[in-house]
Amino acid sequence: MASTIGALGAAEAVLKPFATAINRPQPERLEVNIHPDNLLAAVRALVDESWGYLSAIVGLDRPAQLAAEGMSQPESAIDVLYLFCSGAAVVTLRITLSYSQAVIPTISGIAPTAMLYEWELREMFGVEVVGLRVTGHLILADDWPAGVYPLRKSFTGFNQPVAGAEGA
Amino acid sequence: MNLSLPPILVLLVFPGGLFLIASGLIYQWADRKLVARFQNRIGPRFIQPLADTLKLLAKEEITPVGVHKGLFFALPVIALAAALTAGLYVPLSGFRPAASFRGDLIIALYALSVLTLTMGLAGANTISRFSLVGATRTLTQLFSYEAPFLLSLLGPAIAAGTWQISEINTYAGQNLWLIIAQPIGFLVALIGLMGKLELPPFDAPEAETEIVAGAMTEYSGRGFALFRLGKDVELIIGLTLVSAFYLGGLGNPLEFVLKTLALLLVLALLQTAFARLRIDQTVGLWWRAGALLAVVQLIAIVLGRNLGTIF
Amino acid sequence: MTADTNKFVIPIGPQHPALKEPANFEFWVDGEIVTGASVRLGYVHRGIEKGAEARTWTQNLYLMERICGICSHVHATAYTLGVEKLAGVEVPPRANAIRQLMAELERIHSHMLWLGVAAHEGGFDTLFMYSWRDRETVMDLLEKISGNKVHYSANLLGGVKFDITPELAAEVHKGLDFLEERNRFYLKVVTTDETFIGRTRDIGTMTTEKAEFLGAIGPTARASGVARDIRVDAPYLTYDQFPVKVMTHTSGDLHGRFIVRIHETFESIRVIREILDHIPQGDLTTRVPRRIPAGEAVSRVEAPRGELLYFIASNGSEKPERVKVRTPSLCNWSTVLSLAIGLKLADMPMLLSGIDPCFSCNDRSIRLKRGQQDPQVWSWEKLRQYGIEYYR
Repeated sequence: MASTIGALGAAEAVLKPFATAINRPQPERLEVNIHPDNLLAAVRALVDESWGYLSAIVGLDRPAQLAAEGMSQPESAIDVLYLFCSGAAVVTLRITLSYSQAVIPTISGIAPTAMLYEWELREMFGVEVVGLRVTGHLILADDWPAGVYPLRKSFTGFNQPVAGAEGA
Repeated sequence: MNLSLPPILVLLVFPGGLFLIASGLIYQWADRKLVARFQNRIGPRFIQPLADTLKLLAKEEITPVGVHKGLFFALPVIALAAALTAGLYVPLSGFRPAASFRGDLIIALYALSVLTLTMGLAGANTISRFSLVGATRTLTQLFSYEAPFLLSLLGPAIAAGTWQISEINTYAGQNLWLIIAQPIGFLVALIGLMGKLELPPFDAPEAETEIVAGAMTEYSGRGFALFRLGKDVELIIGLTLVSAFYLGGLGNPLEFVLKTLALLLVLALLQTAFARLRIDQTVGLWWRAGALLAVVQLIAIVLGRNLGTIF
Repeated sequence: MTADTNKFVIPIGPQHPALKEPANFEFWVDGEIVTGASVRLGYVHRGIEKGAEARTWTQNLYLMERICGICSHVHATAYTLGVEKLAGVEVPPRANAIRQLMAELERIHSHMLWLGVAAHEGGFDTLFMYSWRDRETVMDLLEKISGNKVHYSANLLGGVKFDITPELAAEVHKGLDFLEERNRFYLKVVTTDETFIGRTRDIGTMTTEKAEFLGAIGPTARASGVARDIRVDAPYLTYDQFPVKVMTHTSGDLHGRFIVRIHETFESIRVIREILDHIPQGDLTTRVPRRIPAGEAVSRVEAPRGELLYFIASNGSEKPERVKVRTPSLCNWSTVLSLAIGLKLADMPMLLSGIDPCFSCNDRSIRLKRGQQDPQVWSWEKLRQYGIEYYR
């Protein structure tokens, strides 16, 4: 456990310059919110420090609740989480993107394993990954309609009313 | 033993035609069953090879796009015909060969090579990628085992002083078994036979995990059935040749069955004992070890004969 | 990853005898030498991550178990660990020990399955038949414990369903003795058979640096000397009480991957015996609330194929907000694509199987529903009529 806390401390020191918020949701986890512009620099800092390895990229759709009457409608957002692991320690870089600005740079130049994860993220959430060299579908069907992103909450299957939580 | 039959029966029923095909199917079953038992499987029923063949014959023949139609249909027929022709010169079931003349050993071996050659051509005739790779491998393998195999069968021929299969057979029956006199030659002949029949571990030309069925990928119905029959006939002819030459000749049907089955048992055991060789490994093995061993055996025989005449 | 049209491309898949599950690989060959490779996945995408969002926490347990038939227990374990972490529930030690026991039995079953598949790809069908025959033993043990050979369903949220009675323990001991003896034999075959060594040694060699760079995980990485194993690095369940040793090999080639997996099998056998002899006493289950408090949790376990990561987000309701599954097979693909170049075509099936790919691991997404008027969708009647007309 001591080494885990040490590792998290080291990661925190590395990531501090880029962070907009830092918290520890669980003893073995460190979560750092960063701005999309700082993503490459933050990942580069972790890799240069040889801190762990990229374990997963998680997309998280957070559609906005309908605003109350008279209030301005808040914009829906997608969180992109980069999970780095070292031993038992897990560091999460959290980026929040609005639907209209769903663009991130690719980190596959720094961490080559990211390529497949970013590809999946692009297909499933419609997050544009700038610099990702692959085209076409990775896992969806070849005739999948453009602009339909299955893991967004708004997707509930074809030919079905959009309302309701029951998916396809 | 001798048997005189009208020529038309010789060609169509015994020992050519029907008998060859039937015994080919039986030996295919024996081979499959033995391999299965060695691998702890149950294996096919006795009727299975016949059922497979009938099923294939009854199936719709699909002509793939991009093939030369005439060749596509002619090649399987040539393949089976070549194999059946070779059968006329070997002492099947211990009887004298149906046809015999000086130098028929070369003809029989040539006819068997024609079978392999047609399979290679059949693969090259299609535009399927698996077939093309399979055809390349089939022909590559042909060039690697053919010379050592031929050399290993020349050993007994030189010892007997004749290139006529029936006379070598008689010679082998009257003298010490050649497997003892020429053990290296027997080894090369046995492995050569496996290469010729494309049995594991020399089955790179039809390695299903890489190139599906190799040269045969595009064949479905009758063509495939004929090729398979050709292979079965090749199996029995190969077994007959090797056991006639090295296992003390074939004088009667009982001897034939016992000796060829014993050989098949060894073949089946060898098939199960190894992982598949890559085609480059096969070629390397044959040219480095197989050809060299066969030459060594040949030199030993020639030396032995000449020294014998001197003293 | 688009193929150059001037190349001679050998397609492997989606339907191919080398693949037991659908995927598509294209190998560009020059004669027998591979000069390039590409992959296309998703033929059996089932929409499990999306489906999970529409099901309750308990229902999802069964859904997750069905991601993979071979490592079903480990998926369910990763899921329950994540949910229990979010709920703040402490699972009784006996339940955790039984989970670990099942996970290690599953590892034996998976590694023996892999041994057979890999041998088959190399044209060594005898080893394939033998190892699969003996694998039945471990499947029988799993059946005796849980009643099922494949989907054991041992996990519950907050515990396990099945207890290990002393009679069962004796049977498992007996089965393990047999398995250990058989695996010693396989180790001997793998390390001494000349043709087999010829097909595996120095094939697809990956250095430690390359393995780290490409993000290889699990036995594939360990065969290249990367000592990374979640069971040791971040002990979960009772892995701190019944520790395992990390098995590594330095050769980095296919041969090393065989040796590492067989050694891991021995290690699993050893640790199962230890668990059986010193299993903690106590309850099997504890209560888990129907609504899981809001939050996010990451749970990582070591599946037979490598690190399996679950990211679970809850919004405080009866259904999860998001379940992200990062399966081990996905990480190892890049190693295959990069190692393929320069090898022979004949090595490809073995190289592919060398990472022990699990396609159902990769593909988890969507089921298509189209309208009745779609010209591509035919009713059974129409299809039958077409068949009759066609052959008339």
